[in-house]
Parts: sequence; C-alpha cells; structure tokens
Amino acid sequence: MRTSLPVRILAALVLVFLPAPLIIVIGASFSPGAVLSFPPPGFSLRWYGEVLGDHGWVMAFVASAGIAAGAAVVTTIAALGAALALEHASPRTRSIAETMILAPLLFPHAALGIAFLSWLVALHANGTMIGVFVSHVILCAPFAYRPIAVSLHQIDRSVAEAAEILGASPWRTITTVLIPMLRPGLAAALMFSFIISFDEVTVTMFLVGPEFSTLPVKIYGHLADSADPVVAAISTILIAMTGGMILLLDRVVGLGIFVDIEEDARGNA
Amino acid sequence: MIGSGTRALLFAPMGLLLAAFLMTVVGLVHSSAARGLAVYVELLGDPGIRTVLVRTVIIATITTAACAVLGYPLALFLSRSRNRNLWLILVISPWLVSIVVRTFGWMVLLGSRGLVNTTLQAVGATPSPIRILFTPTAVVLGLTHVFLPFMVIAILSSLLQLDRRLEEASRILGATRWQTFRAVTLPLSVPGLIGGCSLVLLMATGAIVTPLLLGGLRDRMLGTQIYTEVFQVFNFERASAMAVILLATALILVIPLRLVEGRMRRRLGAAR
Repeated sequence: MRTSLPVRILAALVLVFLPAPLIIVIGASFSPGAVLSFPPPGFSLRWYGEVLGDHGWVMAFVASAGIAAGAAVVTTIAALGAALALEHASPRTRSIAETMILAPLLFPHAALGIAFLSWLVALHANGTMIGVFVSHVILCAPFAYRPIAVSLHQIDRSVAEAAEILGASPWRTITTVLIPMLRPGLAAALMFSFIISFDEVTVTMFLVGPEFSTLPVKIYGHLADSADPVVAAISTILIAMTGGMILLLDRVVGLGIFVDIEEDARGNA
Repeated sequence: MIGSGTRALLFAPMGLLLAAFLMTVVGLVHSSAARGLAVYVELLGDPGIRTVLVRTVIIATITTAACAVLGYPLALFLSRSRNRNLWLILVISPWLVSIVVRTFGWMVLLGSRGLVNTTLQAVGATPSPIRILFTPTAVVLGLTHVFLPFMVIAILSSLLQLDRRLEEASRILGATRWQTFRAVTLPLSVPGLIGGCSLVLLMATGAIVTPLLLGGLRDRMLGTQIYTEVFQVFNFERASAMAVILLATALILVIPLRLVEGRMRRRLGAAR
C-alpha cells in the first residue's frame, strides 16, 4: 500500500525542514562580506583561511577529535566486554545490568553537566582535558553498548559453540570467532561514540575552562557574543566531518542499524 | 561457555564506568543538600523559579507534540518507501550534527536579516522585520528541529515491525485508507510514538544551548537557569538543587509514559 498524497506532502516538507539550517550555514560560510547573510552576496573562501590561521580554533578541533577518538576506543572496549559478559547471564541479572548501562540516557543533560562538574571540582580536574575525556567516556557508554548487543543477538551462536566443542578456550573463541563476527556492531559503536563525543556541547560546556575548550563549546562561546561568518566556516567543517562519518557508517554497517538499535531496545524494555 | 571469573573480568571496565556514574549522581544530590532541604524550600518557594519550572514543562510539552505531529507522517512515508536508505540520510545527518551548529543555522534563518524575514518582506507580508529570534516561538522551533529525528526513528522502528498483512486484510474487508489507518496502523504503532515522546520530553526539559541562543533573556528554562547559576552567580548549591528538581521533573513526566508503553508492548506481544 502506498502512502496517500497528504502524507507524502507532509513528509516532503519535513525532509526539507530537517537539513535546511545546515544548508543555510554552509551557504553563509562562503560569503565574502563580514555580515552573515543568506543567500550569500558572492563567493569567497576568506573565512576558511581565517579559521585555519587561528591557533585557538585549530587547537579546539584537535582537542575534540582526540577526545572523541579516545572515548570511542575506550567505550567500545568496555561495551564489548559487558555485552559478552552478559550474554549467558540470567535474564534477571542481564536486565538489571542493561538498565544500569542505559541509565545515563535517562538523565537530562543539564543535570549531568552539573553532576560531572561537582565531581571534577572535588578532584581539581575541572577545566582539564582529562576531566572532559572521562565524562565523555561515561556519556558514550550506552551508545556503544547498544549496537554491540544488537550485533550479538543477530549472529549465529552455533559457530561459537562449534569453536568451543573443537577445543578452543573462551578467550580464543572471543578473539578469533566472536570479535570478527561482531565487526558491524563494533564499527557502529566506534563511530557512534566518536560522533556523540565530537559533537557534545550541553554537558561539556560545564566542564571546560579558560585554558581548555572543545570545538562545539568554543563555537557556542563565540555565538553567545556574535554570529559571524567565521563560525559558519568552522561549523561547515564540523558538518563535513559528521557527514563523512555518516557515509562511512552507511558503507560499513548500513544506516538501518539505527532502526535495529531502536527495535532491540524497545523489544527488551 | 565463559566461566564466571572471565565474565567478571569482561564486565570490569563497564562496571567501573557505572560506579563512576553512580558517584556523580550521589555527588550531585550531596552537594545540593549541604544545608539539608533548606535550599529546596527556598527554590520551590521562589515564584520566579516556579515560573521557570512551569515554562520548561510547557515548552517541552509543545516541542514533543510538534515532533509527534511532524514525525509521524515522515516515519509512515519512510516505512513504505523503496529508497528508505537515501531518505534516512536526510534524517540522520542533521541528527548527528552538533546541536550548537544546528541552532546557529536557526539564528541565521530567523534573524532580522535572515531568510524568513527577507522572504516575508519580499512577498509584502510585513513592512519591517518581525521579531522571531529571542522569543519562546524560536525556542520551540529550534528544539523541535533538534529532537525530531529521535521521534522519527522511534516511530519508524515500530512501523517496520508491524505486520503489513493486517493492513491488507483491513482494506480487502472494505475499510477505507483512513479507517485502516485509524483502526490498524495507528494503534499498532502507538508504542513507538509513546517511546519517541518520552525521549523528546526528557531531552527537551534538559536543553540548554538552544534556549540560551534562540530564547530571550526573560524566557529562561531550567537548564539555562542552572547554567547561569553556576557561571554567573557561582552558586553551586542552588544549581545542584535545581538539577535535582530538573531530574525529578523529567522522571515524573517520563516514567508514566514508559509504563504505558511497556504495558502496550506486552499486550501487543500477547496478541501476536
């Protein structure tokens, strides 16, 4: 059954609405003038030159990318371990553990921001890179756990059993059978965590300091004072990064993973 | 089979993260209660804070309703489209781009020299730029845009699980499209709809960046109030207490929805 005309019209409008602000930002970044305007009056790469020549922007970019890469690796390892450990656990243990792993998703970000801050202040780690890194690892863990758990449900268990019957040790089964079979879930977990960490701003804005900031928080700070084409240029770089990750994710895993994760989470709820 | 020792070892890194998370939550409650419950009595007795609390709930509720109304038709379209993957890119790309960048896009669109105002002036709808930016309308618009993809994905997953033969049976038995939608498609996708609503409601109550950048200074939400309390007033105790109130508000709004959703899923599961 095809969808009716009104539904298709509404869907088309929403499909225009969703990317609209991003297209505006990309367009405005090529404006030659100092005032933000769309459509741009001409074409220039002036603001990109300005961004790349500014030490502060480059450092913020490097910090964000470094934290995101580190957080992605650490959360994926932790999530893989947890998913393997819970696979044969009793349904009750597993459901309790999964509820706890997914608990950070139930906390409003504004509350999490101040919660992490109070902890980092006590440890004298507020405004440091390590403080932001640890907070991002905690924040990203549920996002890494879900794709791996979905992958684990989907693979054929008999292969791992065959390895065990043929005398492989548990570690050998994990490293030579399970991990290769879980590759799509692991790739999704890595990329998902990277994107979440790289783009995170609501919690992170509580944790940065005068000496250290991430790229999205620096953009926020800039916007609170003035919205100029420099921000449009740096935002376009960010959009391009995220877009690249999504295309990679689509290639490696397929975007259907987002829907699968949702189904799986609801199915177990 | 993996032994219990190996299992404990495998779970250890995640266990460490869970412990750290638990500590932060305990720390939050602890730092808010330095003087017992006095700060909560002060906050809840303050008419200004009560207004902010009510405004937060209203803005979050309108945002959730807008996401449901806009998200459902799109999810329905996607569930039946042959080029689903292509369209899904248009939904997922804006979702994963930083909130701050998307909000910036709305600042450009809604500003006095933005596309919306220049279009309105060009068609003669208004003689001078109208004020959209720095109003609650702009906040609702921005938040709806930010959270819409979550809603679409939640509804889509429900629609994809739906047995299409039920709809066909309904049509063959003489029901119109609309009757089929009302009696079959909608009821069977309600769990996804409620799931999406609880997610959006939760995130909208805790938003900071979008209300700070698109909203006026007068129309604060709880999240923005917490942020200013920490970085302009430097009152940690009050900020922590507000965060606990925010958490409680979010849970009061979301837990009933989750319970209804769980019950409906079980009922649908039993009917299958």
